[in-house]
Amino acid sequence: MANQVDKQFIARGVSRCSAPRFLLWIAPWAALLVFGLYAAALCLIKGLNQTNMDNRFAFGLWIFLDLTVIALGAGAFFTGFLLYILKVDELRSVINSAVVIGLVCYSGAVCVLAVDVGQPLRAWFTFWYPNVHSMLTEVTFCISCYLTVLAIEYVPIVLRNRKLRLVPSFLVFEFELHKLIYVLAGVGTFLSFFHQGSLGGLYGVLRGRPFAFREGLAVWPSTFFLFILSATAVGPSFILLTTWLAQKISRKRLVRPEVLQLLGRISGTLLAVYVLAKSIDTLVWINRTSPETGFPAWQYYSWKPFGSWILVAEIGVCGLLPALMLLAPKLRRHTGWLVTGAFLACLGVALNRFVLTVQTLALPTLSFDRFLRYTPSWQETGTFLAVVAYGVLVYSFSFRYFQLFPQERDLKLDALEAEEPELVGRY
Amino acid sequence: MLPWNYGFHWDLGHIVFLGAFYLVLATIAAALIAAARRARKEIAGHHVDEIAWHGDFHDLPARDRVCRHVLTGEFKCRECPHAFDCRECETHAKLIQRHPFERPERPEEDLFGMAFPLDRFYHRGHTWVHPEPDGTVTVGLDDLGSRLIGKPDAIDLPLPGAPMEVNGTAFRVRKRDADVRVLSPVDGEVVAAGGPGADWYLKIRPTAISEAAFRHLLRGAEIRPWILRELERLQLALSAPAGAATLADGGVLVGDLAASCPNADWDAVCGEMFLEP
Repeated sequence: MANQVDKQFIARGVSRCSAPRFLLWIAPWAALLVFGLYAAALCLIKGLNQTNMDNRFAFGLWIFLDLTVIALGAGAFFTGFLLYILKVDELRSVINSAVVIGLVCYSGAVCVLAVDVGQPLRAWFTFWYPNVHSMLTEVTFCISCYLTVLAIEYVPIVLRNRKLRLVPSFLVFEFELHKLIYVLAGVGTFLSFFHQGSLGGLYGVLRGRPFAFREGLAVWPSTFFLFILSATAVGPSFILLTTWLAQKISRKRLVRPEVLQLLGRISGTLLAVYVLAKSIDTLVWINRTSPETGFPAWQYYSWKPFGSWILVAEIGVCGLLPALMLLAPKLRRHTGWLVTGAFLACLGVALNRFVLTVQTLALPTLSFDRFLRYTPSWQETGTFLAVVAYGVLVYSFSFRYFQLFPQERDLKLDALEAEEPELVGRY
Repeated sequence: MLPWNYGFHWDLGHIVFLGAFYLVLATIAAALIAAARRARKEIAGHHVDEIAWHGDFHDLPARDRVCRHVLTGEFKCRECPHAFDCRECETHAKLIQRHPFERPERPEEDLFGMAFPLDRFYHRGHTWVHPEPDGTVTVGLDDLGSRLIGKPDAIDLPLPGAPMEVNGTAFRVRKRDADVRVLSPVDGEVVAAGGPGADWYLKIRPTAISEAAFRHLLRGAEIRPWILRELERLQLALSAPAGAATLADGGVLVGDLAASCPNADWDAVCGEMFLEP
């Protein structure tokens, strides 16, 4: 009976695992979510003493997570921009998945920020008493607005559910909202451009932290532009990676290989531009910015475990290497290389955000300072894991009940037809 | 945060920052309001069926959206740009002007044991339209559609007086776990409702009975290639995992296909064949 009811919500022509098997899949993630919510509740009720952060090490695992998921979630706005504004129609087959990923990333980031900032009942203060000169205010505004945009973009995906479409007002509203989706895509691009930049900018303006401080253009330090570039570069890679993962886990073909290759090509091109810009920025910082603040750059890398290897790993192994892998047509045609390239690109952006968040704060900046060490508490880790579990759950439910990959049905028929060699022209 | 609220100053920072923010909020709100208003207007204008079909057609696999002239071999590949409503298709008008429909020599086309009388028109959603002398048309399920449904478990027919529009919902049929809508082949108003026992399902007074009003419907020599394609689609639908064994070459479809394929996902099969993805 439960199976029958469940089946009525699944799109026709696609096959999904049975309801009990699906429950078995979501059970551990739900348990992890409950554990994480308990950890987050402790932080909210008892305060930030539940964490291993302090006045000196004010940014930790949560901010690293926020910056990383927001960069990875950039695939949503960038895919929307390419599809609806630049009319790259091939990306239609992944746009729904990109929206869900964006929604998961941004809502997860906002939830963690709510725990990090604390006192969520006063969250509205940031909107009511804005400091318009703060990059964080811009980030708060843009992320709140963009999360709203993503939620609105998610509505048509939900309303296209087979059962919900039977309600005439849902059906028509979805149709009309979808016609205006290019407006939302444009707004999303505008918002993402600024908050990705401002997230980077807020590190670049830290004069008291010469490791992160950068020169730039007018009021924008170079990190403003580097964050935009890196996010747009890895966004498509993350879409590629999650699509591949969804294919592997569900054991179904969800998009044509050409679409994944296109995502790889877009990601590779932007990553190459980013690596070039990042290299120039690093050279300028090593030779001019850092010495001018009284710190030779090599000094930052004398504090273990943050040796110069981290710079090589960030720019070389997780920057240049995946860019070349994704740009080479021969390598791109092999799923293994394509996915490895995408994975390294995502790892690179995570490493970059880790360096700017954790390494920046760990390094001493005054003569009497010491090198700080920070290990997240179990409550911080639990909250982090809750976001991961939440993401998996939302994506799993969306994959099961909504059409995240419109090509899936076509590909299934292609596969069936391939198994029937004598079908065409039989009569 | 509002200009008349705490800490607002008429300086460049506040104006640019808050101005951009308000613009974004206003755009999002305007988009939502516009969508809601347009939706309300469409519902009031009774365009729900049209929109539903638009969505269904869009969701059909690419191979099922092909133009009727691909079926007849006039085009190698072409997606129907009018959602199977050829009345507004210029290409179709040109092609039938060049090759007018011929009067069929035989009264009936026998296709693998299925009867397709040539005195009527066929819709791609497996209904037929038979013009009656009194100016009405009778609408029924074609032989393939009838065999798919067999003896229906339930039928939801419209009441006399109900408006019908091409590619809107004519009636709903339930068979096993399949609950599908059958597309209306004509515009008009329901005069009477029949059923499986009456040989026809609906008697409709069409809005127009000119040739142009039925231009979107298949006829004559188009039937055979269309049904051949439909049988291929049926075979693929039945080949789905956990489905029944595929049709044997040269076989004849049984009268109640659903009963003969107890393991097939009949909801998926009927959805595929009645163009309701």
